[in-house]
Amino acid sequence: MKAVITGLRRVVALVGLPIVLLLVWWFASADSHTAAMPPLKRILKVFPDTWFGERLTDDVLPSLIRLTEGYCAALVIGIVAGVAIGSSRTVRAFVEPVLEFLRAIPPPALVPILFLIAGIGDTTKILVIIAGCVWPILLNTVEGVRGVDPVLVDTCLTYRVSGLLRLRTFVLRSASPQIMTGARQALSVGIILMVISELKASTDGLGYTFEQFQTRFQYPQMWSGVLVLGLIGVVLSLLFRFVESRVLAWHRGQRAAERTSL
Amino acid sequence: MRMRRLAALFAGATLVISAAACGGEKTPTTPTTPGGPDTVNVGVIPIVDVAPIFLGESKGFFTEENIDLNLDTAAGGAAILPGVDGGTFQFGFSNAPSVLIAQTNGLDIKAIASGNGTAGDPDNDFSGLVVKDPSITRPAQLAGKKVAANTQGGIVELAIRELVAKDGGDPNSLEIVAIGFPDMVAALDNDQVDAIFAVEPTLSAAKAKGWSVLGSFATIDPKMTVALYVTSGKLAQENPDLVARFTRAIKKSLEYAQSHPDEVREIVGTYTNVPAEVRANMTLPGWPTEIDSGSLDTLADLIVKYGVTDTRPDVSAILS
Amino acid sequence: MNPYRSFLSRVGTSPALLGLLGLGVFAVLLEILPRAGVLSSDYFPPTSRIIGALWRELGRPDEQFRPSLLTALSDTLVTWLYGLSIAVAAGIVLGLIIGSLPLLREFTASTIEFLRPIPSVALIPGLIVLLGVGREPTLVIVVYASFWQVLVQVLYGVADVDPVARDTARSYHLGPLRRVRYVIWPTALPYVMTGIRLATTVALIVTITGEMVIGTPGLGDNLYIAYSGGDVPVMYALILVTGLIGVVANTITRAGERIVLRWHPSVRGEVAA
Repeated sequence: MKAVITGLRRVVALVGLPIVLLLVWWFASADSHTAAMPPLKRILKVFPDTWFGERLTDDVLPSLIRLTEGYCAALVIGIVAGVAIGSSRTVRAFVEPVLEFLRAIPPPALVPILFLIAGIGDTTKILVIIAGCVWPILLNTVEGVRGVDPVLVDTCLTYRVSGLLRLRTFVLRSASPQIMTGARQALSVGIILMVISELKASTDGLGYTFEQFQTRFQYPQMWSGVLVLGLIGVVLSLLFRFVESRVLAWHRGQRAAERTSL
Repeated sequence: MRMRRLAALFAGATLVISAAACGGEKTPTTPTTPGGPDTVNVGVIPIVDVAPIFLGESKGFFTEENIDLNLDTAAGGAAILPGVDGGTFQFGFSNAPSVLIAQTNGLDIKAIASGNGTAGDPDNDFSGLVVKDPSITRPAQLAGKKVAANTQGGIVELAIRELVAKDGGDPNSLEIVAIGFPDMVAALDNDQVDAIFAVEPTLSAAKAKGWSVLGSFATIDPKMTVALYVTSGKLAQENPDLVARFTRAIKKSLEYAQSHPDEVREIVGTYTNVPAEVRANMTLPGWPTEIDSGSLDTLADLIVKYGVTDTRPDVSAILS
Repeated sequence: MNPYRSFLSRVGTSPALLGLLGLGVFAVLLEILPRAGVLSSDYFPPTSRIIGALWRELGRPDEQFRPSLLTALSDTLVTWLYGLSIAVAAGIVLGLIIGSLPLLREFTASTIEFLRPIPSVALIPGLIVLLGVGREPTLVIVVYASFWQVLVQVLYGVADVDPVARDTARSYHLGPLRRVRYVIWPTALPYVMTGIRLATTVALIVTITGEMVIGTPGLGDNLYIAYSGGDVPVMYALILVTGLIGVVANTITRAGERIVLRWHPSVRGEVAA
């Protein structure tokens, strides 16, 4: 009985507010005559035809594959570079302004530059995703590594714990809550950049589909794409939660977080 | 009490999405002081094609019609047409197929004047299908190859496919890649595509590389109406006087631009970054005052033929 | 000691000099690569040409349809900072509230995850209809994009609070406000600061993007005009300006961080060293 109530409560927590917001949207948009903001009724009506067909395998899947590749590459680069930069004041001072410079270049300006370097194809799109995802991971890793407990640093020194052992058992562990925060942030940034990377010079993908809907003024379809992106965000965050609870099982804050979050 | 404050705060957070999602209707506003000029917002793209409206503004053609012109530059028809439909812009500039497609998909858009046409000469137009590989000498040879168009489903994609089809190639075997005009020369130079379809000033840059032009808008139809000035059906109904005055002013501007190419080359430098030497030598589009409805019919056919929309756009609905 | 080594040791101890050195190396690299033919100089102008174009842009007066660099810069700064302030304030306040109330967090989680990955470009046609092409639509997407960066960092920061400290606070009957002030805030602060740094740049990027796509006056609008006119050096000059704003913004947020986090190990260790 208790399990049923807990399960029910979880479901209500998951869909309760979204349903309320959808209802608000439904009634507020019901008699909209503005083409760019169609009634939710029309958006939901075109949803199955738009997404439950070839698009799922021809556009959504390639997008998700590129997202996975870019995201994983960004994780590796962000954590490796973050540990290196976070551990050394000199390195940090040397590279930080250049990194900040690169971070501030807007993706629409970056995409044409990457076309020139990496050509038109999956490589450029993955590079765009990396170029956006890497920053939250890198910054959080740097801060996490910088902020390790000085008592633990001294302990490590005293016990002569060094090298890879020190990195694995101590530096990465201490920094992991903040690294996970960065990884979480990067996930939704990655979805956004997945779309942006496909707006131009693409032949498939969610972004390509979005661009088609916009240039063909198919706004109900475009808004149904917005719903798809949101759903992808929810599903990926559930997956992320699952991974995170394994990685951070030891961490004190995690227990509280697990109880209350998605 | 606390709960209410929380609710208010949360409402604030979701306001953004709900504002974007559930916005109701916005009536086209023409902020008019009695007796004063009508302020109109016009959505344009910062390209050579819209030179007449900038020229007409500087010549005072709009002031003569008691119109205070406010030109807003946007990134393309995909941003301008919903703005015209929703009343943000009273008038807008967009390529003709986009207007037809928009109308088919329920946007309330009416054409009021021609935007621009071809230069009239198939061998020397302001547009061109350009190849780098000298062994490709005719469009049919592009079958199965990668060709760059500025957008998916726009006039450029239609033109590429039609040029290949007219030459006996299979238009559906082409792989069309959307690349902005300014990036096309680099893409072809680095062999990322096999051909590009560019307009001025990109076309000049491509020609300067010594590449050859295989066809243009003018090859398909020398009288083709490439772009249109549009308004919303609502404004046309509610304020026909304003629409008539704007139409008179824009037609006068088009006429003036057509007969004063040097002034056009001059004014383009004030709203674009096209260098003076390029402006002096580039091919200008034609600026007829009247819409060539026959070419709109051709475009409507091409839109269906190449699967951009399922139903054929209703040309008369745009022109009425 | 030879002069070379004394120079190195002086640079090595000053973060500012090291940072400038880093930027210098980067600039030299971007000068050499196009000149050596590794990158085509038609599409990648060398640093010197970019700086030349920037110099000319600085000298260009306001024109009717193309504002001067300084006018565009100030437009961008206003939109950016305005949007950033709203996003940071809303992100911190809502993050603390949602983070400290488990029930609220549980019930908002799915909605937050749903809304975050929606790209602001998807909202643009609707926003143009609702708000026109002035500052407002760009402001909305700036707030929308950067708000989540702050909110999520704050939520994680609040979750990181030591349960012992939380229980202690409860047993001492600390009121909700004092709990936030003395227990939650100090733990969350490093996360918040990283969130602000992330949001600062995201807000800048989205400001420029909105100006490019919507046509809101500012650096992005000038950037789009330069881009569509094929003026590559000016385009890069404006990207350079954007990047430099990012560097300056980071320097300022770093300085702010040193002040508010001076008690935290991440900063304390370095001040002492």
